Amino acid sequence: MTEQLPFEGVKVADFSWVWVGPTTTRYLADHGATVVRVETQSPPDRMRAMGPYKDGVPGTNRSHAFADFNTSKLGLSLNLKNPAAVEVARRLIAWANVYVESFTPGTMDDLGLGYETARSLNPSIIMASTCLMGQSGPAAAFAGYGFHAGAIAGFYEITGWPDLPPDGPWTAYTDAISPRFLATTIMAALDHRRRTGVGQHIDASQMEIGLQFLAPQIIDFNVSGRVVSRAGNRSETAVPHAAYPCAGDDQWCAIAVETDEQWDALRRALGDPAWADDDRFQTAEGRLSHEEEIDAHLGEWTSSRSPYEVMEILQSAGVPAGVVQRSSDLLRDPQLEHRRFFRYMEHPEMGNVPHTGHQFHISGYDSGPRFPAPLLGQHNETVMREILGMTDEEITEALVAGGIA
Amino acid sequence: MLSPYTVLDLTDERGELATMMLGDLGADVIKIEPPQGSASRRMGPFLEDGPESERSLNFFAFNRNKRGITLDLSADEGRAALLRLVEKADFLIESAPPGEMAELGIGFDVLRRTNPRLVYVAITAFGQDGPHAGFAASDLTLAAMGGQMSVQGNPDRPPVRVSLPQVWLHASSEAAVAALTAHARMLSSGEAQFVDVSAQTAMVSTMLHARVAHAIQGRDFNRGGSDLQLGTMSLPMVYECADGYIVMLQNGAMLTKMVPWLVEDGVIPEEWIEGEDWPTYDIRLVMQQPLNYSIEDVLGAVGRYVRPYSKRELLERGLREGVTIAPVNTVEELAGFRHLEERGYWLTAPLPNGRQIPVPGVFARLSETPMTVRRWAPGLGEHSEAILGRTLGLSADEIGAAGGGGKG
Repeated sequence: MTEQLPFEGVKVADFSWVWVGPTTTRYLADHGATVVRVETQSPPDRMRAMGPYKDGVPGTNRSHAFADFNTSKLGLSLNLKNPAAVEVARRLIAWANVYVESFTPGTMDDLGLGYETARSLNPSIIMASTCLMGQSGPAAAFAGYGFHAGAIAGFYEITGWPDLPPDGPWTAYTDAISPRFLATTIMAALDHRRRTGVGQHIDASQMEIGLQFLAPQIIDFNVSGRVVSRAGNRSETAVPHAAYPCAGDDQWCAIAVETDEQWDALRRALGDPAWADDDRFQTAEGRLSHEEEIDAHLGEWTSSRSPYEVMEILQSAGVPAGVVQRSSDLLRDPQLEHRRFFRYMEHPEMGNVPHTGHQFHISGYDSGPRFPAPLLGQHNETVMREILGMTDEEITEALVAGGIA
Repeated sequence: MLSPYTVLDLTDERGELATMMLGDLGADVIKIEPPQGSASRRMGPFLEDGPESERSLNFFAFNRNKRGITLDLSADEGRAALLRLVEKADFLIESAPPGEMAELGIGFDVLRRTNPRLVYVAITAFGQDGPHAGFAASDLTLAAMGGQMSVQGNPDRPPVRVSLPQVWLHASSEAAVAALTAHARMLSSGEAQFVDVSAQTAMVSTMLHARVAHAIQGRDFNRGGSDLQLGTMSLPMVYECADGYIVMLQNGAMLTKMVPWLVEDGVIPEEWIEGEDWPTYDIRLVMQQPLNYSIEDVLGAVGRYVRPYSKRELLERGLREGVTIAPVNTVEELAGFRHLEERGYWLTAPLPNGRQIPVPGVFARLSETPMTVRRWAPGLGEHSEAILGRTLGLSADEIGAAGGGGKG
C-alpha cells in the first residue's frame, strides 16, 4: 500500500479562529493538506488566552486549548487592519483551493477579502464562512461562542437536573458538532471542484448545524406539542440508567439496562441478590416505576467497589457499564492506547505533550496529527518566501509597513 | 456535489446521520434494512397514528434523501443481492458490532474483491479491535467512557449526560468526515479503504480543552455546573431572568456596553461608569491586577439587572446594541425563533400519517449547488421493487428469497 495522505496537494488558507474553523481545517491538515493558519498579535486567537496552559503558566504559545486544535498547520501572522497585510492575504487566497473564515458576517467584505474578491483572485476557490447564526437573517451579527449557540439551539434546556437551573453541556457544545458538518461539506466541495472546476461559497451556521442533533424532538414538538426538558440521566425506557457512586473520591460508573436480558445479566453479575428478585422489577414498566428503589440498591452495591471493578464485573456479564472517566483516566485508557489515540509531539515551548488523534482510522496510513501547532507567526518567512513566492524586497516591505504582526 | 456517488447504508440509529449527510450533499443513498426494519424504526418519539413501521420520528429525522430496500443478509440470496449492489457502489457504511459482517461473509475483505475501489466505513462503540471492542455499550455508558460526563453537571450531583441520546450522532457525523477522507485517499491510491470509527473517541472530542488537560496543567477539569472553566479561573454563564434563563459571558466588551444599562435601571450608581476601565476589566481580572469593583459585585449587579426582563427582551436589546445575550431556548421557543424563519431554515415535510409539518433544514448553504431534500424517509421496503427488480433485474420470487419483500 502507498503511504500517500488523502489531502496531499490540497492548499488551505485558514483565516478562522477559536474552535470551529480551526478544528475543520485540522482534519485537512492532519490528513495531508498544506494549511496556512493566519493569526494576528493584535489580538491573538482567543484560544491562546485560554487554558489549559502548560504547567499552569499562561503564555501566548503555552495554551493547549490552541495547540490541540491547530496541529499540522503552518503559522502566518498578519494584521489585516494594515493594507500591506491585506496584500499578503490576497496572494494567499490566490494560492489556496480552500479559504476558511469564521468572523462576524461582513468582516471579510470590509477587509476587501470577501467572496467576490476571492473569486476574482481565484475563480474556483472554495470559501467557507462559518459563524454562530449564519451569514443572513436578523440575528446574523450575533457574535459569540459555542455556549451561546448551544443555549439558543436548545441544549442548555436539556442538560442538567429538572429541579435546578440548566447546567448546559460542557463548554461550547456546538463547537464539538459543527466542524464535522463543515469538514464534510468542504471535502464534498473539493471533490465537486476536482470533477467540474467549479468552486463554492459555503455558509455554515453553527446553531443550525446543532439543531440536526435535536431533529426528532423538534419534529415531535411540531407534531404533538411535547417540549423536552432536562432529566438528569433518566431514560424514558430504561432503568437502571444512571451514574452510580463508587468507592473513592467523586468516582462514578454509568450503568444502563435497556432490555430484560440485560436486567437478568445484571442480577447474575450481582450474585442474584434477594432485592432484585422482586416481581415488580422484572419488566421495563415495573423498573421504570420503581427507579428510586432500584437505584438505592444498586448504588449500595457499587459504592463499596472501584468504578473499574464495577465496570469489569458488569461487562463480563454483558451489561452496559462505563466508568465516568476524567482526562487523567483517558490518558491511560487501554482501549485508547490500543488505538494510539493520544499522540505525543515535541512542542517548541510546551515540550513533549499529548495531542488528541483522530476518531477514525483509515487503513494503510498513519492518520496523524503530523506536527505540533505553530507558534504565533512561526512560519512567516517560509510561507511568504516558499509558498507565496514573495521576493526579499516584498517581504521587507510588508514587514516595514507593519503588516506581518 | 456528490451526485455521481452511490452510498449503501446498512446502519441503524448508530449511523443513519452519516449517510443522511452524504445524501443531503447529493449522493444516491440506498438504505438497506433487515426485513423487520431498522432498529431505529422502534425508537421514539413516535407518531400516534399511521402505519406502525413508519411511526418513529427518530427514523423520519435521520433518513431523508435515501431510498429504502430490505434484504435478509442471513440468506444466500440476500447476500448475493448485496454483492450486486456493492459492485456499483462507492461507499458502504455499517454499524454492526465488530466482526458481525465478516461472520456473515460480507466483511471488508470479501467486499473489496467485489469492488476494489470501495470505501467501507464501520461505526462501532469502541473500534474494531482492542481490549474494550467487545464491551456492551449505550448512549449513557459511552458518554461516561468518552469523558464528557466527567465535566458535565452540577458538582453536588452525579455527572450527567445531555438528557437526549447524542453519542451516535457524534459518531455518525464523524463517520461522514471519515468517509470523504477515505474517498480522497481511494482516488489517489486506487485502493479500497477500510475506515474504523470509534464512538468513544467521538465523545472524547466533545471535551474540547479538557481532553488532555491533566497532562498539561497537572489536574483534570471537573464538573462545575454551567460555569465556564478557563483553566486559571471560572465564570458563571447562566443567569435567571423573568421567564427562564439566559447565557452570557461577562468580558470587557460586554461590560463596557452593559454597565450603562445597569445605571439606567438604578441597579448601580452612576459613578460606576467612570469608576472602572471596563474594556480591560476582564484582562486585569485574569492577570490578578487591581480592580475597583470586585467580580462578585459586578456579576451580582448584572444578575439583578437581567432578573425582571424576559429572554426575548434581553436578546433583542442585545441584538440592537451588540451585546451577546443568548436565551436558553426550549424546542417551542426555537420553533418560533424569527431568525430561523427569515433564513428559510425550516422545510415542510409530509409525515407518514399525512400531516405536513416544519422540520429542520439542511446544514449548510451552498452558492453553486444548493443542498436539497429530494425525498423524505422511505417506507419499509419502499424501493425494493425499483432497485432489486428494475435495476438488478431480480424476479419477484428472487426478491422474496433475498428478503426484499419487507415484513411480508
